[in-house]
Amino acid sequence: MGGLGGAGLGNSRLRLGHLYPDEMNLYGDRGNILALRRRAARRGVELEVVSIGTGAAAAELIPTCSGYFMGGGQDLDQDLVATDLITLKGDHLRQAVGRGAPLLAVCAGFQLLGTHYLTASGDEIPGLGLLPLHTEASTKRMVGNLVVIADPRLGLADPTLVGFENHSGRTVLHGELRALGRVVRGGGNDGQTGLEGAWQDTVIGTYLHGPLLPKNPSICDWWLGAAARHLELAPLDDHLETLARAEALNLTPSPRRSSRWRLLGRGLAP
Amino acid sequence: MPSGDLRLMAALLGGRAAGIASRRLHLGAGSTLPGDVGRALDPRILERLTASLRQGVVLVTGTNGKTTTAALLRTMAAGAGTSVAGNPSGSNLIFGLTAAAMQVADWRGRIDRDWMVLEVDELSTPGAVSELSPRGLVILNIYRDQLDRSFEVEQVFDRLRLAVSRLPSDSFLVANADDPRVAELALQADRAKVRQILFGLEMGPEEHRRLPAVSDGRTCPRCRAELSFTRVHYAHCGVYSCPACGFSRPDPEVEGRSIRLNGLEGLEMEVATTGGATAPVRVSLGGVFNAANVTAAAAAGRAMGLPPERSTATLVGFRPAFGRFQVVSWGAARVRLMLAKNPAGLEENLRAVLAARTGPVLAIALNDGIADGRDISWIWDADLEVLGETEDLHVVVSGTRAHELALRLAYAGFAEDRVLVRPAPEAALDEIARLVEADLPAPALLTYTAMLDWHRRTTSVGPEAESWAG
Repeated sequence: MGGLGGAGLGNSRLRLGHLYPDEMNLYGDRGNILALRRRAARRGVELEVVSIGTGAAAAELIPTCSGYFMGGGQDLDQDLVATDLITLKGDHLRQAVGRGAPLLAVCAGFQLLGTHYLTASGDEIPGLGLLPLHTEASTKRMVGNLVVIADPRLGLADPTLVGFENHSGRTVLHGELRALGRVVRGGGNDGQTGLEGAWQDTVIGTYLHGPLLPKNPSICDWWLGAAARHLELAPLDDHLETLARAEALNLTPSPRRSSRWRLLGRGLAP
Repeated sequence: MPSGDLRLMAALLGGRAAGIASRRLHLGAGSTLPGDVGRALDPRILERLTASLRQGVVLVTGTNGKTTTAALLRTMAAGAGTSVAGNPSGSNLIFGLTAAAMQVADWRGRIDRDWMVLEVDELSTPGAVSELSPRGLVILNIYRDQLDRSFEVEQVFDRLRLAVSRLPSDSFLVANADDPRVAELALQADRAKVRQILFGLEMGPEEHRRLPAVSDGRTCPRCRAELSFTRVHYAHCGVYSCPACGFSRPDPEVEGRSIRLNGLEGLEMEVATTGGATAPVRVSLGGVFNAANVTAAAAAGRAMGLPPERSTATLVGFRPAFGRFQVVSWGAARVRLMLAKNPAGLEENLRAVLAARTGPVLAIALNDGIADGRDISWIWDADLEVLGETEDLHVVVSGTRAHELALRLAYAGFAEDRVLVRPAPEAALDEIARLVEADLPAPALLTYTAMLDWHRRTTSVGPEAESWAG
């Protein structure tokens, strides 16, 4: 593993640290990895995916990477992961982010970036504390299509973000922490404030999955741009992405009446 | 006459009237509305009706294969000379089960049958077990499914554990030894109360396969360590052990062996029982996962006391259930409708299609209706990369999220000029008709409402064993 001191910056080679790929891989997160790799490859950059699982040995891989991704997980997996993340990975990740490496975290991964998670019984489960936010358990689950207009200060080529959300936690941003964007359709962080996600320097957390990156190439390019500042990110032909985005944005709210009735017996009534 | 009987009769009458009215008015709820009304008039109607069965109820649950396995078991039970009813329409929530029982009951609320074999939704299984006190429960598999509805695999596991704990005395549990979580459910069951019959495959037609890229079955259900698989038959089902805690695949009592797939047309295999006979099986279903469904049905048949040779022999006449490998026609073209609504289902159907060399065109339709799961992100978990290795195959993508499929295929390395985006079902069927070879049905992998759409627009080829009539 020689020659990785520069974490791939400036080379036509990048290393993506995929945090907890076995535990945090819900909801099509694989698509996010495929998107980063493909958009890098289309610009002649090889993106190597490094699996960073649980344990102390895996923590040593963190400084060798150019950027990071963490996906969603089941509740059971989150408990397991939270402890490992705080005790073994925290310092390395803080240093990496401090030198400007991008970290993108989706859904449960987003919640883990905060200071803590407040359970229904009032217990505080500590988080990584990388972003000043916390999440509270709630009985109302936010499930559905989510459309967000990203904060213009992020400078995304296309600020309209489309995806799907499925979470019961309500996330509260503290102080001056900026949201990733404003909700156009869906619940977002808490279903009330109209805020969605959070971002600070090169860290983005969001409830948008679906998966996020294939249909939102501008976020994908934000990650690549932060991971390889010396690289010129040439514009790509995104007509397939554009069509899939348009299709997702035009979602009709309910299926045809006849099929809705037919399906009542399967417990699928709206 | 006790008042309970009167109440039951009133509930039956009311529910049936509602069903007839709904069909006359073409409301389309014929398969469940009687159940809704019947339960409103007598909340214990399901328990009361099924108490009159001479033998009892067998429930079939699991993420994939419920409809086919229940239909196989009904065919076997009928072939062995017993009388059997079920819910072939696939209405598998408690209202659908109630409607199915009401449909076969006489005016006094008696069901003149030996058995009812009912498929039941995974999350509804604990409630169904409480109401029905079944003679047996069959658990096929636990995969990630419509996550916006069923939430998480661990929750499904917990619900099924609850269902198993509620099984009455002297009942049986048929469970898949090849699926680690399902095997664990059986191993945890109370042996004094419930007879466990594990089933599994000896080996798939392929010597060894890798686990899917994204899999929920790779960790130990006891200690969460990574399981080690020496064989993978289909999805995450195979021969496994845990290097950390010693948990391993229990030996199955009923085993599917010598599986030979004949394209998508059918399969031949043997079902062997520990300490019993080995019965040859021929059935017009393709795919290794259907060999597992046959084995599950044979294990349940054994627990029900059906004579093995006689019952498995009748599977020769089995016709695929609605939309499960069913062949339909669109003009001169023939199309094979294959339900694929989660990553495991899509991957396994695709694997069967590619192994069978089914001709120059394949269709995939993705809808995001409530019944399909509004969240379509699962297509990114499914290993469509296998399609990237094909050279002359055309793929017609259809449904409300056809463009999402086109994007997924591009990411899978599939050549864009061999993808035809036709969101409307008729346009997709026309495209298939243009490309298909006359003697081969074109496979179509469809989510639930897409399958209903395509089935409604096309014409059935040959008789269907069990009608879709509500």
